[in-house]
Amino acid sequence: MYVYIMYSSELIKGTLKTIVLKLLSDNQKMYGYEITQKVKELTGDKIQITEGALYPSLHSLEAEGILSTETVNIGKRVRKYYSLTKKGKSTSREKVSEFADFMNTMKFLLDIKPQLG
Amino acid sequence: MYSLSEQQIDFILRDIKSRGVEMEDLQVSLLDHICCIIECELEPGGDFESFYRKTVSRFFKKELREIEEETILLLTFKNYYAMKKTMIITGGTSVVGFIAGSFFKIMHWPGANVMLLLGITIASLVFLPLLFILKTKEANSTRDKIVLGVATFFGMLISLATLFKVLHWPYANNMWLISLGILFFIFLPIYFFSGIRNAETKINTITSSMLILFAGGLLFTLSNIRPSKQIVINNLYAYVQSEDLLKRMQERMSDSIKADALYSKINADCQKIKSLILQDETGIKAISTKYENLDESMFFTEGGLGGEFYDKGEGAQLLSDLQAAVVKYNASNSSAQIPVAYSVLDIDMSKIGQYTNLSVLNSMVRIQMFLASAEK
Repeated sequence: MYVYIMYSSELIKGTLKTIVLKLLSDNQKMYGYEITQKVKELTGDKIQITEGALYPSLHSLEAEGILSTETVNIGKRVRKYYSLTKKGKSTSREKVSEFADFMNTMKFLLDIKPQLG
Repeated sequence: MYSLSEQQIDFILRDIKSRGVEMEDLQVSLLDHICCIIECELEPGGDFESFYRKTVSRFFKKELREIEEETILLLTFKNYYAMKKTMIITGGTSVVGFIAGSFFKIMHWPGANVMLLLGITIASLVFLPLLFILKTKEANSTRDKIVLGVATFFGMLISLATLFKVLHWPYANNMWLISLGILFFIFLPIYFFSGIRNAETKINTITSSMLILFAGGLLFTLSNIRPSKQIVINNLYAYVQSEDLLKRMQERMSDSIKADALYSKINADCQKIKSLILQDETGIKAISTKYENLDESMFFTEGGLGGEFYDKGEGAQLLSDLQAAVVKYNASNSSAQIPVAYSVLDIDMSKIGQYTNLSVLNSMVRIQMFLASAEK
């Protein structure tokens, strides 16, 4: 659903889980806002994950046993940190390599020349 | 960095709740997220309320509830692929079972009914409901979902009706007619009027509706095939002639036969079975053998054995009593046997549905005639 900016939403739709899983495998544990900011920062604002897409995905990944959570009280509010479970770590590797493979195929299929600089 | 007060945090939480987000987990996540955005992006001393409204509106297209709906959808459909796989497998199995079953059926090979039973049951009770669940996920409007729902129900009912019909189970015709009623009076109007409103689907809807009407009409014609009136009259007169013949034979019977207990038992059972069938078809217990008395109220078509026969298993009980009595009779009368093979006396009770009212009536009269013609 509504991931937006720069790229068409169909293009990003299928990759949200991969992005989240990769970020978590690099950063141990993160909370929702942190994930959106990190993606923004790493992509130079080209990809912004919307909350409407992020939280449903996080909750379903948690239900599938790919993510585990711990909560920390911050004053009156509660912050939920997400991290990869053991299953999540292998899922993350699979997703990333699947996507890399996909990119190579697309490069070949669409005849994209690697750009220099 | 803006510093949020406790009242402001409470305000945000209340607002999230009032916008229809009910999952506590999600409330907590959204609350922290919004607080983070405000703390990081709002200037100290900025306008909290208007900034909050602007922030929260980025989260959705129409309302905040969307996030919760999407979450529930994802949680429910984490088995999406398993469901899809099951659907394809059951679909394949049922098609194979159905085609093989029909082929075995017309070849009169054994195992046909089991295959049909499995094929059709899987198709109507597993495949179609799964297809419905997966398709409604893709459907955008409530109207599409209703159309899918009604179509699924129709498909389930008509396949089960066909199964019942093929296996000679009761209520097949009622199910068949109800499903056609659903097709013509519920499905078709909804499908047609929702489809022609949209310019894109207009032509398709009209042609599909006509095809559905045509196919449904064919099914209806099939369900409504009746023998011609002449055949009905011929059958009735033939049966009445048999009854007449029986009556004349019984009048000439010796008293010793009439006094025989086994004779009385068999004769009475036949009479009771006939009256169960006749009661259902014509409303009277015994048909008159006066030909001038036969009128339209007594015409009945060849068909199932009827509700009176099946009610409380009375007919089946009588028939199995009769079978036992005839076996006993044949054992004690070596000279005047009642033929059993290939008749209603020779069948398993579970197959009784294969016999028609007319054939059982005629069988009963013939058994009575064999009895009456036996010389002791």
